[in-house]
Amino acid sequence: MIEIKDLHKSFGDLEVLSGINAKINQKEVVCVIGPSGSGKSTLLRCLNLLEDVTSGQVLIDGVDLTDPATNINELRTNVGMVFQHFNLFPHKTVLENITLAPQKVKGLSFNEAKESALPLLDKVGLADKANAYPESLSGGQKQRVAIARALAMNPNIMLFDEPTSALDPELVGEVLQVMKDLAKEGMTMVVVTHEMGFAREVGDRVIFMDEGIIQEEGNPEQIFQDPQNSRTQSFLSKIL
Amino acid sequence: MIDAILESPYIDSLPTLFEGLKMTLLITISGLFLGFILGGIVGLGRLSNSKILRGLSTVYVEIVRGTPILAQVLFIYYGLTEDLIGISINALTAAIVAITINAAAYIAEIVRGAVYSIEKGQQEAGRSLGLTERQTMRYIIWPQAFKRMIPPLGNQFVISLKDTSLFSVIAVAEVLYMGKQYYNVTFEIFETLVMVCVLYLVITIPTSVYLRHLERKLDV
Ligand SMILES: Nc1ncnc2c1ncn2[C@@H]1O[C@H](COP(=O)(O)OP(=O)(O)OP(=O)(O)O)[C@@H](O)[C@H]1O
Ligand SMILES: [Mg+2]
Repeated sequence: MIEIKDLHKSFGDLEVLSGINAKINQKEVVCVIGPSGSGKSTLLRCLNLLEDVTSGQVLIDGVDLTDPATNINELRTNVGMVFQHFNLFPHKTVLENITLAPQKVKGLSFNEAKESALPLLDKVGLADKANAYPESLSGGQKQRVAIARALAMNPNIMLFDEPTSALDPELVGEVLQVMKDLAKEGMTMVVVTHEMGFAREVGDRVIFMDEGIIQEEGNPEQIFQDPQNSRTQSFLSKIL
Repeated sequence: MIDAILESPYIDSLPTLFEGLKMTLLITISGLFLGFILGGIVGLGRLSNSKILRGLSTVYVEIVRGTPILAQVLFIYYGLTEDLIGISINALTAAIVAITINAAAYIAEIVRGAVYSIEKGQQEAGRSLGLTERQTMRYIIWPQAFKRMIPPLGNQFVISLKDTSLFSVIAVAEVLYMGKQYYNVTFEIFETLVMVCVLYLVITIPTSVYLRHLERKLDV
């Protein structure tokens, strides 16, 4: 479903990704962990071309993102993204946040978009907030709206970049719950996270990154109980 | 007492000064209106992906902001029209053109600054949903940027209003010029200039107060 081949990414002279190879299968939940600055966000952002790739390939359902002929906007509708800082549109209500892209990108009428948005809001537990503005929501509520907004495009893949890092601890659970439900429904997910509990419970696979490469990967049990790489060991010993 | 005030040299100058004030406002408002259009275009140029457009608009902004408006208006009034094109325009037109050109350069920077001030995450959220760059600008960035432009635009109004006083050098009958004409006859220099300043303040102070209120309300 997602195939990453020898992916390199540099910002000027700084090489942030130094040859990433990975495959993410349909319905798989892959958690990406690693120290700050190791390139986790950059890797994720290369998967929907928010960052352009320096060299290598990213294939999604066989379509090469790095091919200039690829219609990147169309591809992005298939890959939802959830950001650490939510990035809700502050001048739009919750409902408008969710219905904007389906209207403008898919050409739905407002009523059609609304009809599919309301069940999504219900799903993330915010049916009563449809007409609220983002500023009136808690962090956890904002992030759940952001998830609903991404889901409104009916993506096959969801990318999460530290979705709970900006939240007060007591609000983390409600967001993780929504993500667990999504995983259960069979959504393909790539999740950059510091929530090791989530990675262990929901992740099918854990990727440990450091210094721009994948140092180790495996199922959560392997990585957390019996890490082979010394960097993984020292990283885990610091955070667990 | 009342008679003393009504008969005072302060009040006496008012009818003449009001004539000037009308002209001042006419120049400011039409200059800002046109400046807003031109400034919008130049601002878009500053934000454009095209190197040429970006370069041209940057040159424009730097030249206008780097030279005094007094030199600009003299250039427009005497230099450009008579020497270069060989037609003369009237002083009022030259004044409006000068305010337009000048305000446009500053407004272009206001436009650019407002767009840049919108967090990068907004653009990214839009693009990640499949919106094109154009759609993201139109539905997400511009509506937020417009809000942030309002206070600095109000500020520009105050600046342009005061700039019009420079046009007394080309005999535009704005409020300071009318004041000078008046005290040249009455010799009440102090009283007249006090009233000229009062008239400016009557406009600028409420504008500033309202702007501060607006800034709080818009939360920018
Ligand atoms: N737009 C950019 N321009 C220049 N350097 C960048 C840019 N984005 C990221 N970097 C650099 O790339 C490196 C990797 O950044 P990245 O955000 O991918 O790390 P990360 O693993 O997500 O870290 P964190 O856990 O702190 O989010 C860092 O050194 C960062 O400073
Ligand atoms: Mg990151």
